[in-house]
Amino acid sequence: MNDVVLRGVEIAYESEVVVSGLDLSVSSGEWLALIGPNGAGKTSILRAIARLVAYSGEIRIGTQAVADMSGRELARRVAMVMQEPHMPEGMSVSQYVLLGRSPHLAYFGKEGRGDQRVVADILERLALGRLAARRLDHLSGGERQRAAIARALAQQAPVLLVDEPTSSLDVGRQQEVLELIDGLRAEQGLTVIAAMHDLTLAGQYAHRLALLVAGKLVAVGSPAEVLTEPAIADHYGAQVRVLQLNGAGRAVIPIRGHAAAAVENQLP
Amino acid sequence: MQILARFSRPVGDAPEALLQGLPRLPWLWAGAGAVALLGAMVLGVLVGPVHIGLGTVVQVLVAPIPLFGGMSSADPGQASILWSLRIPRVVLGAVVGAMLATAGAAYQGAFRNPLADPYLLGAAAGANLGATLAIAFAPGTSVIGVNVVPLAGFIGAAAAVAGAYALGRTVTGLRNTTGLILAGVAIAAFFNAIQTYIQQSQTNSIRQVYSWILGRLVTAGWDGVLLVLPYVVVSVAVILLHRRLLDALSVGDEEVTSLGISARRVRLIVVIAATLGTAAVVAIAGTIAFVGIIVPHTVRLLVGRSYRVVIPLSLLFGATFLVLADTVARTLAAPAELPIGVITALVGAPFFIVVMRSTRAAAL
Amino acid sequence: MRKHHIWQAATAVIAMALTACGPTSSATPSTSAAAQFPVTFTGPNGTSVTITKQPHHIVSLSPSATEMLFAVSAGSQVVAVDEQSNYPANAPMTKLSGFQPSIEAIAAYTPDLVIAADDTAGLVHGLGALSIPVLIEPAAKNMDESYKEIEQLGAATGHVADAASLERKMRSDLSAIVASIPKQAKQLKVYHELDDTYYSATSATFIGQVYALLSLKNIADGATAAAGDYPQLSAEYIVASSPDLIVLADTKCCHQTLTTVAARPGWSSIAAVKTGQVIGVDDDVASRWGPRVVDFLRVLAPHVKQLGGAA
Repeated sequence: MNDVVLRGVEIAYESEVVVSGLDLSVSSGEWLALIGPNGAGKTSILRAIARLVAYSGEIRIGTQAVADMSGRELARRVAMVMQEPHMPEGMSVSQYVLLGRSPHLAYFGKEGRGDQRVVADILERLALGRLAARRLDHLSGGERQRAAIARALAQQAPVLLVDEPTSSLDVGRQQEVLELIDGLRAEQGLTVIAAMHDLTLAGQYAHRLALLVAGKLVAVGSPAEVLTEPAIADHYGAQVRVLQLNGAGRAVIPIRGHAAAAVENQLP
Repeated sequence: MQILARFSRPVGDAPEALLQGLPRLPWLWAGAGAVALLGAMVLGVLVGPVHIGLGTVVQVLVAPIPLFGGMSSADPGQASILWSLRIPRVVLGAVVGAMLATAGAAYQGAFRNPLADPYLLGAAAGANLGATLAIAFAPGTSVIGVNVVPLAGFIGAAAAVAGAYALGRTVTGLRNTTGLILAGVAIAAFFNAIQTYIQQSQTNSIRQVYSWILGRLVTAGWDGVLLVLPYVVVSVAVILLHRRLLDALSVGDEEVTSLGISARRVRLIVVIAATLGTAAVVAIAGTIAFVGIIVPHTVRLLVGRSYRVVIPLSLLFGATFLVLADTVARTLAAPAELPIGVITALVGAPFFIVVMRSTRAAAL
Repeated sequence: MRKHHIWQAATAVIAMALTACGPTSSATPSTSAAAQFPVTFTGPNGTSVTITKQPHHIVSLSPSATEMLFAVSAGSQVVAVDEQSNYPANAPMTKLSGFQPSIEAIAAYTPDLVIAADDTAGLVHGLGALSIPVLIEPAAKNMDESYKEIEQLGAATGHVADAASLERKMRSDLSAIVASIPKQAKQLKVYHELDDTYYSATSATFIGQVYALLSLKNIADGATAAAGDYPQLSAEYIVASSPDLIVLADTKCCHQTLTTVAARPGWSSIAAVKTGQVIGVDDDVASRWGPRVVDFLRVLAPHVKQLGGAA
């Protein structure tokens, strides 16, 4: 079982508490979006699950606590796509993606044929096959994002953490990347936890949303339950219309606020 | 979606493009490096302040082989010069050059900094301080048959790097190496100050300290080779085994941690290995500048940046470079010696500027 | 290099003045020491130093000059010598440094004359501001320069006659030693070692000139001029040259002996090592250009005689 369970999780950077009292569980094959205004603690939660930051409380994957796993073991269970992955200059796409095989290799191990085959398959699926030998610094934004996802997929981990997968992509690339993640989730039963900025995209791709405000979970549930106009006005301080799309899906459209409208009304 | 349509494709063998994108040791360059090293060593054995003919060299070289032994008619004096002085010096040059270049590449990978070399964390300053202390306060003593001066140099180098590491760890977090490098710079400055103070207050030891810093390839002989070889073999082997991990480190400490690799552990092991090897070499040969920077950078410019390629080729070209530099050092002003550090820096400094200019936009 | 030429010219001028008519003295010749002052010397760069009356608070920053001062009976006028001036034993050794002289520390001895081998760290200028005369007596390149310095120091301290008799004594001692050595059938080769990384000295140096006196061939002369007067020699060159005599001037600094030399790789085939003609000398005696050069020659002479007789 690859459900992810967080119990009473608290995260602090040097005495400053950024997430507290967090209880959350995500089941196998589910896509959970972490939403909330800037500084709500979304990225910190992802980093805690990947054990990149110290936390108190309990985080489990299946029955095993993250804290009890070795680094390699954890990396075989959880893969993370950073918001701004560092792409070493001069490194080729295939070499970069092959790094994702690290958790499956011994300390002094070397990638074998099998690892190369896994990577070739992933590159092919992500339409990166023809770019395999290209240098990372010669890729476009969308291609870089795909390469980063490819590296995470090469870990063949059942849990995929994604931090802002669509920032700095154009609308076509945004859709392409999210479709890709959702397709992989559906096909391989991945558990996806994504920190998402764009509420409309979150409201359509995620099964459930967890709304965080100042490190506290304020709402968790389906898009219809979480994405309400009053909730967004309360927590984001934004004036929006929420539209229903494709049944459970929701689109959040910002509209000009009363203050702006009031100023406009006074104009001749 | 177009991408989703690809999901149903059958999984095949690794495509040609993938294999092309993977770093592999270019055999042409490796072969060229091996040939260059061999050529440099042959040249180094043939050329010297004392003229020894090719025929004599060949006779002396084959003499230990039983079948040819009886045929040798070489002058015993020349044979002794070749066996006791020239050949060990060429071998030591190769060992020292290989170690310094390999250690330089390893440090650059471990710190993700193109200017890093073992001297960055104070290895040179530590070695010089250790040797100066030994020269000033315990001259001429030996411990288990080993002169105390190189031993003190070795301990000094290791202590400086350990100090920089301990200091750097306390001031810097997981994510960057700048604190470590600053700690190294501070330690080096501190050790240099103490060393200069001792040197000034013990004026009668200045000349010896000076000649120690400039290097002692001149006097080392086979004893020197045997003294450094175990350290160099272990150090180089450990570094070679970390080629893949050094490549992995290039994505940054945090991302490499998410791949199940402990950046700290890799860095610690690589730094210990490179430092021990360097300390051993510095203890015998003095602080030879720039080899650890220019050789790996040249390899990067010529062949690429993967450590799987950079480290083995740095080893070959570092050995070649130092054998050639030493040959120049002992023949240019023959029968006088020029300090080898002067030759490497004289070639190295301008070269380094060229490297910086050509990689300014990219690497720095 | 240029500085040297100027200095050599300057010392030549002084030497002429000294031999022709004695020091430039305003008084008529007299046996009284005080009557020989004031005396003026022209130093490097044409600057002149005038010593108005006989000095009684001399500070010497040069070990060779210290030895000369005591040898010309001016020792009682010396109040302080630098940390390297370890001879004679009754010289008032202090912490003063001749390499990095401190003007203040020197001035604290209220000297009426300072003698140094080099004008380093603004010594002449700094002490000049305090109206303290500084006499520079640089490293001599041969016996004649050494004699000239002795004469100068005699004149500067009011011991002209003592200096003259010291010079006579040194000259006669040296010629006796040189005369005692039989004519060599074959010119003997010498290797003078300054430290255990094989720095040596050519015939352009004072020590090299001493070997020339004994008609020895100095193997360091094989080095090119570019390597300087104190070249570092290649081990294989030393071995191939196979000197008949090895003089170790690194017995104190680097603890070298016949045993350590014989243990060096390849050195066992050198003639001097085979015959045991490896002579350890006092580093200081072998590096100074003072009166003790006679002692140095006395140590060498028996070895040269022995070798000459064998040849």
